[in-house]
Amino acid sequence: MSKRIVIDPVTRIEGHGKISIFLDEAGNVSDAEFHVVEFRGFEKFCEGRPYTEMPGITQRICGICPVSHTLASAKAGDALMAVNIPPAADKLRRLLNLGQFIQSHALSFFHLSAPDFLLGWDTPQPQRNVFGLIASNKDLARAGIRLRQFGQEIIETLGEKKIHPAWAVPGGVRSALTAAGRDKIRAWLPEAYATTETALALFKKTLEKHHRELQIFGNFPSLFMGLVAEDGTWEHHGGKLRFSDSSGSVIADQLDAQKYFEFIGESVQPSSYLKAPYYKPLGFPDGMYRVGPLARLNVCEQMGVPKADAELKKFKNMGHGKAGHGAVTSSFLYHYARLIEILACVEYVERYMDDPELLGDDLRADAGINQLRGVGVSEAPRGTLFHDYTVDHDGLLQKVNLIVATGQNNLAMNRTVAQIARHYIRGNEIPEPMLNRVEHGIRCYDPCLSCSTHAVGQMPLQVQLIGQGGAVLRSIVRG
Amino acid sequence: MNEIKQSPRQDDVLVIGYGNTLRGDDGVGPRVAEAVGRMRLPHVRTLICPLLTPELADPISRADRVVFVDAAVDAPKDVQWRELKPNDTSQIMAHAADPRTMLALARDVFGHAPEAWWLTIPATDLGFSEEFSPTVWEHLDVAVRKIQDFCVKTGRN
Repeated sequence: MSKRIVIDPVTRIEGHGKISIFLDEAGNVSDAEFHVVEFRGFEKFCEGRPYTEMPGITQRICGICPVSHTLASAKAGDALMAVNIPPAADKLRRLLNLGQFIQSHALSFFHLSAPDFLLGWDTPQPQRNVFGLIASNKDLARAGIRLRQFGQEIIETLGEKKIHPAWAVPGGVRSALTAAGRDKIRAWLPEAYATTETALALFKKTLEKHHRELQIFGNFPSLFMGLVAEDGTWEHHGGKLRFSDSSGSVIADQLDAQKYFEFIGESVQPSSYLKAPYYKPLGFPDGMYRVGPLARLNVCEQMGVPKADAELKKFKNMGHGKAGHGAVTSSFLYHYARLIEILACVEYVERYMDDPELLGDDLRADAGINQLRGVGVSEAPRGTLFHDYTVDHDGLLQKVNLIVATGQNNLAMNRTVAQIARHYIRGNEIPEPMLNRVEHGIRCYDPCLSCSTHAVGQMPLQVQLIGQGGAVLRSIVRG
Repeated sequence: MNEIKQSPRQDDVLVIGYGNTLRGDDGVGPRVAEAVGRMRLPHVRTLICPLLTPELADPISRADRVVFVDAAVDAPKDVQWRELKPNDTSQIMAHAADPRTMLALARDVFGHAPEAWWLTIPATDLGFSEEFSPTVWEHLDVAVRKIQDFCVKTGRN
């Protein structure tokens, strides 16, 4: 009789999801799925609202990614107005996004994922968390907390609030950086560099002990997508879309995000509220692609800043294919890519500190509705984020479509948990550390389920073995 | 064991009002902190946030005394003032924590857990709204006065 193992909910991710692992009659894993089991409905209830409210409304989708949503939404507003925003406003939005990357990546690396690979997969669950990390390495834990604080300081300095800043608007931004704010940000830079470089060195050393994880934590061919500049430089807010494959070849470049629906299809699965986008020319599910740090580093040719560029070379040397020229295909290296992106962000922040334009006052373009459909695309820490709005002539929303990073990684996450489960799960006896490895496959992607769901309170782990007829054969609850 | 580098002290009293201002009475913590901030009490700093996040442990560790202000649906029907001790618990959410966990973080990571109190205001309506229920309006001024009295009595004015 075939069986199903359910991990519900998955812990140390943003939101509420569960994993089902299907066993065949011999007790071997036949398949696995990651589900998002709660529904939020922003696409529907935003209908009828003025597009000008959307940067404020959509950032409430999430407490971790509010900046990503407000920026993508503001850009969709720019498109509806058909305006080019002032250069200072573009730079300020970029600075905000850099702060968002730093705070979110620091949270993912230090708080959510590092306890697994720094403390050890088999460390008892009560110690395998940020407090365990504190007990093991206080300096690192403190540095990680402060690195996130740095990112949030940037957000607060610009938007007056760390979370949900009402600052980016269609046409630009509400206010400039002040000289005092600039000096405050600048004072953080030496510490931010030191923390990031320490974490990079530590992670690379850790990799020496994690060959197995490197091989089986989501290591498979797929497409990768991200924004790049015209010359192929890493992008996070402007540029156009690029797809590359696992051989490292660019298969589509400089794609206009306004026409994303021509090359991205959206599939739905009956077992999840998470959509499953795919690259249309290859169809579903062959058009599976990954987004986020790993993808962005795979699709770009350079970071555009020296320290991160030096790390990017090392990263790319880990790629598959001839002479290391292929893409980096192991999702375990999302962590490495995340750290390289933090380094790049700190370098870009430093570059902005010497730019007087950020203190200027030409911050907003003004116009009415000039197009009835507008798409805003921006890189969120977890991957490319699309906001697609259709409005009437009064600017009231008729249709909203949001494509979030976690959805775009949906197919890859399913494949990752199946790959890990096949290595570690045998029959009914499943030790908790084995399940933690399966969960970590999801954590590599740093999914933000709050972008499509919402959860409060403690997150216990429940594992159920379910027979083919639906009867619960065995249940384990982890508090 | 790593040496803990203690952060330089900044504030006598730190008032942290937390809650979601779009969920009715849950926004009372931020509203109280806002009111205290407007008083410009010497050596008193206020922070307003939707929820307690780990990086708050840094400013908490720099204070001599901290007052956490929150809405409470399960508390008695009046404003409560309770002393807090750092938690030993290792449970922390991805991005939200209990005040006692924050004190534990301040102690363990930044080297100092200040004296702390938890001021809770009874809440009855946590629905989608920016308005307060009559229950909150009834207790809002009491909460602000309690903090004011506390700061005046214990501060270095």
